[in-house]
Amino acid sequence: MFRYSLLLAGSLSFACLAVFVCLARPHAESADLLPGPVPAKFKTACLECHDAGIIVQQRLNKAAWTKEMDKMIKWGAVVDPGDRDVFIEYLTTKFPTDKEPYVAPRTAFKKMKHDR
Amino acid sequence: MISRREFLAGVSGSIGGVWPLLSRAADESVALPGKEGMIVRSHRFLDLEMPVEYANLFITPVEHFFVRNHMHEPSTLDVSKWRLSIGGEVEKPLALTRAELLKMEQRTVTNTLECAGNGRAFAVPHVPGVQWQKGAVGTARFGGPRLRDLLERAGVKPAGKHVMFGGLDEVPGKVPPFIRSIPIEKAIDGDTLVALNMNGARLTKHHGFPARVVVPGWIGAASCKWVTEIKVLDREFDGNFMSPGYRMPNQPVQPGEAVNVADTHPATALKVKSLIASPSDGASVKSRAIHIQGVAWAGEADIEKVEVSTDSGTTWQPAQLSKNHSRYAWRRWSHFWKAPRGGDYTILSRATDSDGHTQPDSVPWNPSGYLINVVDQVKIHVPV
Repeated sequence: MFRYSLLLAGSLSFACLAVFVCLARPHAESADLLPGPVPAKFKTACLECHDAGIIVQQRLNKAAWTKEMDKMIKWGAVVDPGDRDVFIEYLTTKFPTDKEPYVAPRTAFKKMKHDR
Repeated sequence: MISRREFLAGVSGSIGGVWPLLSRAADESVALPGKEGMIVRSHRFLDLEMPVEYANLFITPVEHFFVRNHMHEPSTLDVSKWRLSIGGEVEKPLALTRAELLKMEQRTVTNTLECAGNGRAFAVPHVPGVQWQKGAVGTARFGGPRLRDLLERAGVKPAGKHVMFGGLDEVPGKVPPFIRSIPIEKAIDGDTLVALNMNGARLTKHHGFPARVVVPGWIGAASCKWVTEIKVLDREFDGNFMSPGYRMPNQPVQPGEAVNVADTHPATALKVKSLIASPSDGASVKSRAIHIQGVAWAGEADIEKVEVSTDSGTTWQPAQLSKNHSRYAWRRWSHFWKAPRGGDYTILSRATDSDGHTQPDSVPWNPSGYLINVVDQVKIHVPV
């Protein structure tokens, strides 16, 4: 049995309240979320199908990143054999398990009134 | 992101025009019309989480209803050409228009829809996937014909054991299509719908227009959006999102341990769970008199009771359940508490369902972070 950390839940949700940012980032610019230096061809290989947000919120060890990379290659990501390990190393280094949680943006906020 | 103009085009397209590609939108002055204040877990594919403070209504406004997409939403759709086909192990295959579906007897089901991965962000060790915290859940009134009526019209053959749903999701690369199936027993349940409406209005694009399946009480993945194909099978559908996707280990596994898919089963009904909508976690409240409130749901079961602890779980007090009550829908609950003195407090909520299941303090880890339903908690500060 394992206890999931609700303390983490608390700190994250509170942090999100303070970040009422509009979602004002075109998809192509989601690459800006990637901390550098980004390996060559990483953006084209990974961001062709999805944005960088789904990457930067992950906190995984090398084994898990390796499994994800291989799944993506199987699912059509164009990754040269020589780049695979470079990509995995980048992901493992930049998004490790002990990195602070990613704070997701919010869509524009409009106060609304609804009946209960 | 989608511009206002493109969004309006998308809305009109839901009548008979063409939907714009989400990825074309680049008007930074407009975020995501129709989705207000939502947490953006992913933009492409679009995954939006409801902030937990919005879990304070019986019916979640569409603007605040979470969005879960595995793929791109349909970029174009001509509803005049759209058909819902029913085939496979049936006597009379059908292809129905939306207008024909609207002419059938309409049933409304108020359903709490929750993503199986809601709470995944709290898994330790971390698991890959959308890092949902607490808000991949919402309650809506879904309306449309019963799936049972469609299947009866088509005439299910005795060999039919499962019912498969295929939608119009646009699949990138070689990603397997998002196709899943449910057992025939659940498919012919009178509350399983092909929904055309949500909260009294036509489905929006993000929620599956022109039609989506609604499988009440089950994980959200069962309720296929943009459905265009229903196929009766003689067995469970064999595809990535049935296996290895959306499966639970048959026995508890050690955190981080790999699981043999042969030793798993499909995730189906939601588990009993509660959320504290207010006070917010981390809040510094102004008064010692505190109104604690939230929601609780239990998949196919009813909520029997909700209890609240204001002393980190040492003692529990019953919360009051709201009168609004509908099978498959969450119950709102509330509890008034006067803090004895200023200081820091941990407030917990736990629900018990009509089958006798109570939210646990801990749950076994699983590789995909599914069905995490531990007691909820918030930490607050009360002034001295």
